[in-house]
Amino acid sequence: MRRLLVRIFLSFWLMIMITIAAAAGLGFIYAERARSAIERFEVSDAMLEASEALRVEGRDGLKQWLKSVDKVPRSLIYVIDVRGRDLLGRRLPAPVGIALRRFGDDRRRNPGRDRGNIRPARPFTQLVGPDGSVYTIFVLPPQSGIAQWIADRSLSSLGVLALLASIAVSLFLARAIARPVARLRDSAAAFAQGNLDTRVPANVSKRRDEIGLLGREFDQMAAELQRAMERQTELTANVSHELRSPLARLRVALELARREAGDLAEFDKIDSETERLDSLVGQILEFSRLDSRSGEERSQVNVSDLLHEVVDDVRFEFGDDVNVSLTTPDEEISARIYESALRGCVLNVLRNAAVHGNNGATVRLKLERGDGSAIITVHDDGGGVAEDELGNLFEPFYRSATSGVEGTGLGLAIAARAAKKNGGSIAASNADGGLLVTIQLPL
Amino acid sequence: MEADILIIDDDRELGGMLREFLAPDHFRLSACTSGEEGLEALDNDRYELVILDIMLPGMSGIDVLKAIRRTSDIPVIMLTARGDDLDRILGLEFGADDYLSKPFNPRELLARIKAILRRASPGGERSHLIQAGDIELDTRSRQVKANGEPLRLTGTEFEMLHCLMKAPGDVVSRETLSRDALGRGLLPYDRSIDTHISNVRRKLDDAGVDNPTIQNQRGVGYRLLTDD
Repeated sequence: MRRLLVRIFLSFWLMIMITIAAAAGLGFIYAERARSAIERFEVSDAMLEASEALRVEGRDGLKQWLKSVDKVPRSLIYVIDVRGRDLLGRRLPAPVGIALRRFGDDRRRNPGRDRGNIRPARPFTQLVGPDGSVYTIFVLPPQSGIAQWIADRSLSSLGVLALLASIAVSLFLARAIARPVARLRDSAAAFAQGNLDTRVPANVSKRRDEIGLLGREFDQMAAELQRAMERQTELTANVSHELRSPLARLRVALELARREAGDLAEFDKIDSETERLDSLVGQILEFSRLDSRSGEERSQVNVSDLLHEVVDDVRFEFGDDVNVSLTTPDEEISARIYESALRGCVLNVLRNAAVHGNNGATVRLKLERGDGSAIITVHDDGGGVAEDELGNLFEPFYRSATSGVEGTGLGLAIAARAAKKNGGSIAASNADGGLLVTIQLPL
Repeated sequence: MEADILIIDDDRELGGMLREFLAPDHFRLSACTSGEEGLEALDNDRYELVILDIMLPGMSGIDVLKAIRRTSDIPVIMLTARGDDLDRILGLEFGADDYLSKPFNPRELLARIKAILRRASPGGERSHLIQAGDIELDTRSRQVKANGEPLRLTGTEFEMLHCLMKAPGDVVSRETLSRDALGRGLLPYDRSIDTHISNVRRKLDDAGVDNPTIQNQRGVGYRLLTDD
């Protein structure tokens, strides 16, 4: 995800650097041209031309002359009349205004009544027209204040300044784009993890740009998928429930038939098949329940105690056929989890180990504290499974080619889904002539 | 043994077949197909036992159970779905005496009915008072008093407490509790004993009894401890 940030940052930065370089280049060329124009411009000659124009054609002549001056020098020459206005009507730059206020007192008095003939020395030229009106000519130095300041810096410090400013701006822009995209990605990842409640954070989906639009589209898609998944789960649960009624009637009818016709071997077969069907329906229901949002709430569970209970149950079910050992750490391990999901998870793994182990199987169950999680391992002595089958063990109704054992084929799938419901994971590997199933449960 | 039994289950056909199945043992079965109907039948007629399906259209089985327990301690066997532990635990917590997952073997249902009715019928034992700490239990009238005040327990809860009080201080195994209090063997993955015991504990607690206490021996069973 950092790559997007880096790419956007680099492209912005490159763009800004190019812009700065181009602006600097253009500025340099412009300044160079202005400099040469000003160098060619001789102030004393210009003054003579101006005074000639004023003398021959009056104010209009002076105006014509000013217009005829090259563009660049003209922008530096201001001709001010007695009313304090530029002949070409331009706004007066600050230095001209200051100079006027300091030296141009006489322009406020009526020049016609001014009988004095002494004019104090001025740092600028004044022309007097044929009608007696006075025009003050300012010639500005060819650089403004900021340009002067920049010119005073060394080239390297200017470069560093431009570099820092451009990095800051690019980083800000890149993050403004990359961050909501990262948020979107987090949401998508959480959704993919099976967290169907996930929606894009409000500060992304409320944006009025394309990213906000994308966020809202994502939310819509998530809601649609969630509804579809929930309908699916509900359907499975309903089908399982609906199957209970005919099965229940079947079993009562079977017992009534037994009474009428006496005990037949076929009745026992029907009975055991009905029971199998029943346990399959039960497991499908349990499997679909693990997906639905309704039902159990999380509670604080002592994991060691729960494992002891599950082991008691398995020992009770299998009796002497299985030898189950349990190792738990001395410290108490407890977590806020869905208790029946963890129970179902461990129970199904243990039962799988018990039926696949050797006759008089030894199953070792162990609880350890891992890094921020509880690690529960179940190790049997049943010879394990082929390496390429390990990944499929947790698929519903997957049957290992080497296993001749009858089961519903849902036990490990239930275990996997139950582990996921608690935010954990499950994995299988072969170890010491048996299957090692590792359940990781975040604490 | 004969008795009137009420089944509340929306499967009308199942009710009919069960009536036929239970008839030879002198159990008269009446069937209701909704919770409302069932509660009305319980108001009008006398029954010794209720079979209650937890999955009912309209008023849920749990709500029916709660309504029954507000006024009556009649034995209730509930029918739950396999793979649905939550319903079962909820049912037991709200005072059902036992449960069967549906589809059940009808012979198993018959055995449960007999066990519960045998247990509930007084007269077998002569009146006998057992005392432990602040509670007193009368085996004939099946009454329990906590600090002299009557304590309401369901039949199964009474039997659980009785089992423990018969041997104060000793650990009573889960097998023994199941056999003596539920009238059946322990089943794998069946935690109903723990639920019944926790109900008894809660009721003792609510009545302000802190002597005796019921202690859990992990993997073995429970025992009653008195201060004196």
